[in-house]
Amino acid sequence: MERNRSNIPSISPAAVVVAAVFLLVSVIGVNWFTTFVPRVLPPQASAESRSVDELFYILMIIGGVVFFLIQGMLLISVIFFRARDDDRGDGPTYHGNPLLELVWTIIPALVVVYLAVISFNVWNQNSEPKAAVNMINGEETVIRVTGARYAWTHNYETSRLNPEGEPIVINSGDKLHTYIGQNVELVLRTQDVIHSYWVPAMRVKQDLLPGDPATGGRPTEIRFTPVRVDGAAYPAEYPIVCAELCGDGHGRMRGTVIVYEDEAQFLAQFYEPAIHAILNPPADPVLRGEIVIQEYICNSCHTLDSLGWSSRTGPSMNGIADRAGERVAGQSAEEYIATSVWNATAFVVPGYTEQMASFGPEQTDANKMSAEQLYAIVAYLCTQGEQSDCDNENSTVAIPAAIKTAFGLEVDITFGQGDDAGESESAPSGE
Amino acid sequence: MTTIAVPLGAQAEQHEAEVVRRPALSEYLRWSVDHKIIGVQYGVAAFLFFIVGGAMAMGIRLELWTPELDLMASGAAYNSLFTMHGTIMIFLFIIPMWAAFGNFVVPLQLGAKDMAFPWLNAFAFWLIPPAAIVVLLGYFVTPAEAGWTSYPPLSTLFSGDGQTLWALGAHLLGISSIMGSINFIVTILNMRPPQMTIWRMPLLCWAVLATSIIAVMATPFLAGALTLLLLDRVAGTTFFNAAGGGDVLLWQNIFWFYSHPAVYIMVLPGMGVLSEVLSIHCRKPVFGYRMVGLSSMGIAFVGFTVWAHHMFTSLQPELRIPFMITTMIIAVPTGIKMFSWLGTVWGGKMRFTSALLFGLGFMSMFVIGGITGVMLAALPFDIHVHDTYFVVSHFHFVLFGGSVFAIYAALYHWFPKVTGRMMNERLGRIHFAFTYFGFLFTFFPMHIVGMLGMPRRVAVYDPNFTDWNQVISFSAFVLGFSTFIVVYNVIHSYFRGPVAGANPWRALTLEWATTSPPPVTNFAEDPIPFEDPYGYGTEASAAYLDAVDAAFDAEPPATDNS
Repeated sequence: MERNRSNIPSISPAAVVVAAVFLLVSVIGVNWFTTFVPRVLPPQASAESRSVDELFYILMIIGGVVFFLIQGMLLISVIFFRARDDDRGDGPTYHGNPLLELVWTIIPALVVVYLAVISFNVWNQNSEPKAAVNMINGEETVIRVTGARYAWTHNYETSRLNPEGEPIVINSGDKLHTYIGQNVELVLRTQDVIHSYWVPAMRVKQDLLPGDPATGGRPTEIRFTPVRVDGAAYPAEYPIVCAELCGDGHGRMRGTVIVYEDEAQFLAQFYEPAIHAILNPPADPVLRGEIVIQEYICNSCHTLDSLGWSSRTGPSMNGIADRAGERVAGQSAEEYIATSVWNATAFVVPGYTEQMASFGPEQTDANKMSAEQLYAIVAYLCTQGEQSDCDNENSTVAIPAAIKTAFGLEVDITFGQGDDAGESESAPSGE
Repeated sequence: MTTIAVPLGAQAEQHEAEVVRRPALSEYLRWSVDHKIIGVQYGVAAFLFFIVGGAMAMGIRLELWTPELDLMASGAAYNSLFTMHGTIMIFLFIIPMWAAFGNFVVPLQLGAKDMAFPWLNAFAFWLIPPAAIVVLLGYFVTPAEAGWTSYPPLSTLFSGDGQTLWALGAHLLGISSIMGSINFIVTILNMRPPQMTIWRMPLLCWAVLATSIIAVMATPFLAGALTLLLLDRVAGTTFFNAAGGGDVLLWQNIFWFYSHPAVYIMVLPGMGVLSEVLSIHCRKPVFGYRMVGLSSMGIAFVGFTVWAHHMFTSLQPELRIPFMITTMIIAVPTGIKMFSWLGTVWGGKMRFTSALLFGLGFMSMFVIGGITGVMLAALPFDIHVHDTYFVVSHFHFVLFGGSVFAIYAALYHWFPKVTGRMMNERLGRIHFAFTYFGFLFTFFPMHIVGMLGMPRRVAVYDPNFTDWNQVISFSAFVLGFSTFIVVYNVIHSYFRGPVAGANPWRALTLEWATTSPPPVTNFAEDPIPFEDPYGYGTEASAAYLDAVDAAFDAEPPATDNS
């Protein structure tokens, strides 16, 4: 026995048979893997996802062969090369085989060269900037995404003008609306730490890098083109996830991509209603506030049952109107709420830390908030309580002097004045 | 053929079967410059940190049992939990644990009386307890919660004082690592016996040499990065603050320029252990000795050129491709090792000792980490799974399936030399079964949740992944339980284990050519190494091993003691 093995140990007939069986098993196993694969990956919702998954199949097949080869040879060794209990001798003195060593250096080298080449091709294909991006009604649109602890905000800079002649910006909050075949190109900016914009169904991911705010930050781009997913009902929804640790609420920093079946559906169900809502805001400030508050990232940290928010990073806003008047001596409920939004760290609820950003006309991007938007939010939050501290009797929101100055307004806003209020609120910005 | 070498020279008389006393336990609590004492100090300290870090991992898995935040008070508390888990496991467990085996075994394998710089050696060890205290003191302020990678600005502008302590502690550990590595390099290059050329050196020494070269070259970059981080945190500089002209990618580049090679600092010694264990317990020479030794150096070299694959989603797009290519190249020397080990096992006469089981477990698990490593190098696929549980799975296959399995193999293999007693083999096999299957079912499903869309470092996740996470958590508890078995085995065997004798495994390397435990000066006289450290199966080697047995004890070798 020992003499036989000391030549090339791999020519034992039994081992050859077992090796053949293993080759068979690995072929079957690899086949099984590829049928299994769709269940370990999200839906293929973008053109990019198809080429990435094809690359994954190839990696999986090569990896599967290596896996079965190594585990198989280990298993054979364990079965065939165990010493008998009474055998105290040594194995064959076999120091190596330069030819074999050359083979297992060159073959893996060729395999990785092949993998590098095909990966490079897929990368080139997927990362190339496309013409005609974000087409809406035949025009290119800029879509800006802002990452802030702990929410995404999407802003569509449309070519429509408001009555003041300024382009309308649609804020769709944590939702990205797109349609099949639209070449999506997003400009990503962060307001605080590094975030990472990941849409698993699209197989795309890009970090948001902090840059110098004075020079417009450090925008990064992400590109993908939604495609039809067999069997999906449209509009289809896919999660957006933050993939880079950003702090306390990292796991909750999520959003949704809503893919419409075609541009017509996109226009009818998202774009036109959104433009209409901006041009014709509800006269009732409470109703308006309910819309406005959802355009901002408040839900990323606060709980508010009425809107289905459940985050616990910041204090709960359930019943806030009952408490707001007692938080700070000398501040009415309205003043307290308005101040908390405009200058978030002026009063920090005991047990919480200074994490909240401030919102106002002097802020940029996703934190920009006009006076009307602020008042609407105050009016809405004043309805969140059993017996509201807010002075709803005369429908007046008393605003602290400092905020009035900052927002360039002179009087308290009185709600419920019908058309007047509606008109003044139609401006998207207080400036 | 060749003259038969005997370990203690031609004139060796029958050695008096004098019992070498084990050092008193109090010796281990004191400053000592004996490399064997320091090795045990490193090992016990590192193992204690393994238990602390492992308990934290259990906390992580308990939190992830449900998709909601329930166990932890806040997301921040969870963040500090995995930050500390990673920091402890890397800086306080794996790296010091390899210093433990390196310290104990390398001078013995070289036939040396001690390390080249015994005092420096002790100093390097005694930096670890204060460093650990500094890191853990963070719990009394705001603990570090930016992950062990501590990316600014989260770790600078948005973290509390615990982050400063974390950086100071890591600084001290880096200094310790550099001093230890310089010591290894000098020892290995200068203190070999005259008969032992570098091409006759045991492969553990090769691996420790490669590791030490990496550590000496890379760790200063960690020190640089940490210094900049500390300055940003306490001195108002803006190296990483974009508003002041800094750049957050600067940290990522410097940090990974250390931390990627650090992966090899953590796994190369394990590969060295594997070469020893497989050869000795399969009774066969290491297949392709030179290529195995050289591939350690190849990995060390190429390992310095791949760091930015950790930044595939943040790096400038045009720089990503070169790092993909270098990363893939590193699969080649790793593959050489894997196939050489298979060649070593193939056709051998395997003794299924616990050490060999963990060695085979290493191969079987590490290959999965290698395959997913190549998959992660493929840039388009990495973009999808970057920063997900797929990555968590990958590096646990490398660092647990690789390093920790090798640490266990080394423990079962060298415990007799360290303590003079054998470990209990039956418990060892049970420990292996729990560890192997607990590990596999903990970490393999993580690939799948990662690909399906679960990012890493989250306490709150999509409820669709609940089932997978419960499978993972359950298996993790099994894996956690397996640690109790080995702890019991170590303590029990230390007091009650059968006496090992000098060379229970009939191994040719020099650490076995002395008593167990070795005397203070290691060898009574300068030992003569066998011409080939792995030359099993020849008459000369059998004669050499018989001479070792004859010199130290009349008892037959105790290879089986279950």
